[in-house]
Amino acid sequence: MARNDLIIRVAGEGGEGIVSSGDFIAAACARVGLEVYTFKTFPAEIKGGYCLYQIRTSSEQVYNQGDTFDVFCAFNGEAFELNKHLMTPGTAVVYDYPGGDFEPDLPEGVIGYPIPMSQTAKDLKSYRSKNMVALGALSVLFNIEEETLIRVLTDKFARKGDKILNLNLEAFAKGKELGAAHEKTDPYRVADPQGAKDVIIIDGNSAVGLGAIIGGLDFFSAYPITPATEVAKYVAKHLPKRGGTLIQAEDEIASIAQVLGASYAGKKAMTATSGPGLALMSEMLGMFTMSETPGLVVDVQRGGPSTGLPTKHEQSDLFLAIMGAHGDSPRIVLSVEDVKDCVDMTVEGLNIAEEYQCPVIILSDGSLAFSTQTFPTPDPSSFEIVNRKRWDGEGEYKRYEMTDDLISPMADPGTKGGLHVSTGLEHGETGAPKYTPENHELQAKKRFDKIKPIVDRYRPVEIQGEGDADVGIITWGSTIGVVREAVQRLRAEGLKVKGFYPKLMWPMPVEQYEAFAATCGKILVPEVNYQGQLSHFIRSETNIKSSIPYTICGGLPFTPAMIVERTKEILS
Amino acid sequence: MSVAALNKVEMTPKDYKSEVPPVWCPGCGHFGILNGLYRALSELGVDPDNLVITSGIGCSSRTPYFVDSYKMHTLHGRAGAVATGTQLANPDLAVMTVGGDGDGFSIGGGHMPHMARKNINMTYILFDNGIYGLTKGQYSPTSRPELKAYTTPYGGPEEPMNPLLYMLTYKATYVAQAFAGKPRICAELIKQGIAHKGFSFINIYSQCPTFNLIDTIQYYRDLVYEVPEDHDPSNRGAAIELARRKETGPTAGKVPMGLIYQKEAPTLCDKMQEFVDNVGGTPDYDLNKIIDLSRP
Ligand SMILES: Cc1ncc(C[n+]2csc(CCOP(=O)(O)OP(=O)(O)O)c2C)c(N)n1
Ligand code: SF4
Ligand SMILES: [Mg+2]
Repeated sequence: MARNDLIIRVAGEGGEGIVSSGDFIAAACARVGLEVYTFKTFPAEIKGGYCLYQIRTSSEQVYNQGDTFDVFCAFNGEAFELNKHLMTPGTAVVYDYPGGDFEPDLPEGVIGYPIPMSQTAKDLKSYRSKNMVALGALSVLFNIEEETLIRVLTDKFARKGDKILNLNLEAFAKGKELGAAHEKTDPYRVADPQGAKDVIIIDGNSAVGLGAIIGGLDFFSAYPITPATEVAKYVAKHLPKRGGTLIQAEDEIASIAQVLGASYAGKKAMTATSGPGLALMSEMLGMFTMSETPGLVVDVQRGGPSTGLPTKHEQSDLFLAIMGAHGDSPRIVLSVEDVKDCVDMTVEGLNIAEEYQCPVIILSDGSLAFSTQTFPTPDPSSFEIVNRKRWDGEGEYKRYEMTDDLISPMADPGTKGGLHVSTGLEHGETGAPKYTPENHELQAKKRFDKIKPIVDRYRPVEIQGEGDADVGIITWGSTIGVVREAVQRLRAEGLKVKGFYPKLMWPMPVEQYEAFAATCGKILVPEVNYQGQLSHFIRSETNIKSSIPYTICGGLPFTPAMIVERTKEILS
Repeated sequence: MSVAALNKVEMTPKDYKSEVPPVWCPGCGHFGILNGLYRALSELGVDPDNLVITSGIGCSSRTPYFVDSYKMHTLHGRAGAVATGTQLANPDLAVMTVGGDGDGFSIGGGHMPHMARKNINMTYILFDNGIYGLTKGQYSPTSRPELKAYTTPYGGPEEPMNPLLYMLTYKATYVAQAFAGKPRICAELIKQGIAHKGFSFINIYSQCPTFNLIDTIQYYRDLVYEVPEDHDPSNRGAAIELARRKETGPTAGKVPMGLIYQKEAPTLCDKMQEFVDNVGGTPDYDLNKIIDLSRP
């Protein structure tokens, strides 16, 4: 890998400004045209606790958080100890010394840069600017463009008044001085400025919110749950600008019920939650299916079951999203790969719900939720916006009319002549209850068949690499970004490896899976859950019977190195 | 309820009847409430095209099928939350929820306080027969302990709740109580409830002669007394006192019938509109302005 790809990890106690220093570095890199992919972990506790922020930046596109860090900045002894095993000869470590809470015992070959962060902040009588001292040192030691960084800081602190701004700038300058006093003996540098690009930098949850607003959302009903809450935070702030409404409901059951009611009123409506909330919504999702009402749920997955690992990454709600229903209850399930996808897919999710008049679930995950990434500034006019098929007012209105494409026109309340019942009972074309065996079979088939065309209409599954391969890797969600880089590396070594990256999880594009597998010797399916949930569907739905699951569930995403290693094991 | 839907049409109570005839048992109190509802809609001239009635599951929750309007027959206990979404999404609609004591106070009991507290601009008619009718006679949150039912062969082990106090506690802005055996009073209180701006709740006693064999029509006749003329419905303290079941005195063991409480207050919808207005919200607000906030 070209060494313009750099990974800096900052860690310490929550509340020490770890997140803001990470955000400042990320913003400074993004402003000078570098690509940025950040990764964060938080404690589940409100105050204190170990907190980590990792910034990967490069002049090339970055697909994931990387294997490990090149540069580590330890705000305290706990952070140092927790990361010590990841340090290899050559790793650069900036740490709070003297005056911090520890005296590190640096592993063999690790290059240390002691910076008295706490002491300097104390001398400046500004305890909260410890992170600014660290930032100053990091900037000079690792080529983080100083002028831009100062501009980022100025923009950020200007709101808080001159006094605070100057204190922070002073701490930053002091840190720079302390950093410059060291002789640099490691090779790590942030890539040189590329010239400003037309990009935005945003986290996955906000990106879902942005997608929702671009997609024409009218109504959002929220119930707080980690790691999904920031979706609502973003929407609450910006939806009123478009005249829309966000309300916080009393629970997820109410949220999804309100989405149903709003959608029935003819508006685009959605909610966002995590696994426990999606589980509570299961009954109402059946109501969406039965009453053929459009609705969107974004599930930002976390470690489960039960309260599980609320702040940690996992991809373990695929079963729930696809099968978590009573009765025969078809729905459409999509997944997102990265933050840009969070925008695009939310627009698509709203569109698809409108088009097929059914519940749509988008699976995001805990690592994307808080990951900030750079990508080209979206152009709202470039998105296609789909609206539901509405009744044309001709003839007698039947809510569940059997049409050629099985999509029955809807009539918003207020429409003259469109009176009808939307119902969770099995019904005939008018909506009146109808329990005959023939009718239930007919209607069940309608509900399944009407969404089938999406398999062919949706864009083909992206395949990385051409020709035949010895190993084909099928993966989903944010693991795609990890596999992309692994496939790149393996192919660069001349190994015959390909990747297959579905976004439409259900209904499954079975033919495409099978066609891909036909070009591959072995199929590897990495995913972050214990059971191998996608592997399960591949076995049950396709003719691929011998795929090899690769599952982890330690609360962290895969790294490209893990995929490379496992693929090589399979190859040998 | 939304005034936009009122005084729009001239229709007789009969005109609000749909083609679907009620499926209730003979003598079921729900008929009386339905008749009251037809009359109230007629007297207010509610436009069926702009009326949405939601319901959950239960005998009472079948009501929307019998009314000419837009309607959603949803899930057990969730109809009020569904209606909340409809109301907020299109404030011009007249929105109403109907359902039973099991539906509203047991499985849906977690939603009631919030519709009241948020002052959702809608009307909730609760058909209180002290039993789960549709599932063939189990005790409900409003059943008397004397009721020997399906799952209480030895009598009820629990104290019933007080619907009026529940809704008053959570600050419903219109609280009334009626009895199905008095359709005119039902009609009047439903009518006032519909005309009320904000969350209106009407608890209506309704006999279930099939499964609740102790709460007979005669029992309810003796149970209710008309709200005294001198009661001031704008006084919340007085309303709470009226709603409280007395152990002694002339109204001991009885319940009031009539308007218990009414207050004008901003609805959630009003407040949401305020937020929109404060940020200059409009459907054509430039999306680029929002996107630009995420530039590095
Ligand atoms: C989730 C769920 N649980 C249970 C039921 C079964 N169920 C249907 S109606 C009902 C009770 C109805 O009682 P009430 O709401 O008082 O209405 P009534 O029939 O007395 O008018 C129950 C328990 C259901 N439909 N859904
Ligand atoms: S079971 Fe009871 S509540 Fe249901 S229709 Fe019959 S009488 Fe009415
Ligand atoms: Mg009942």
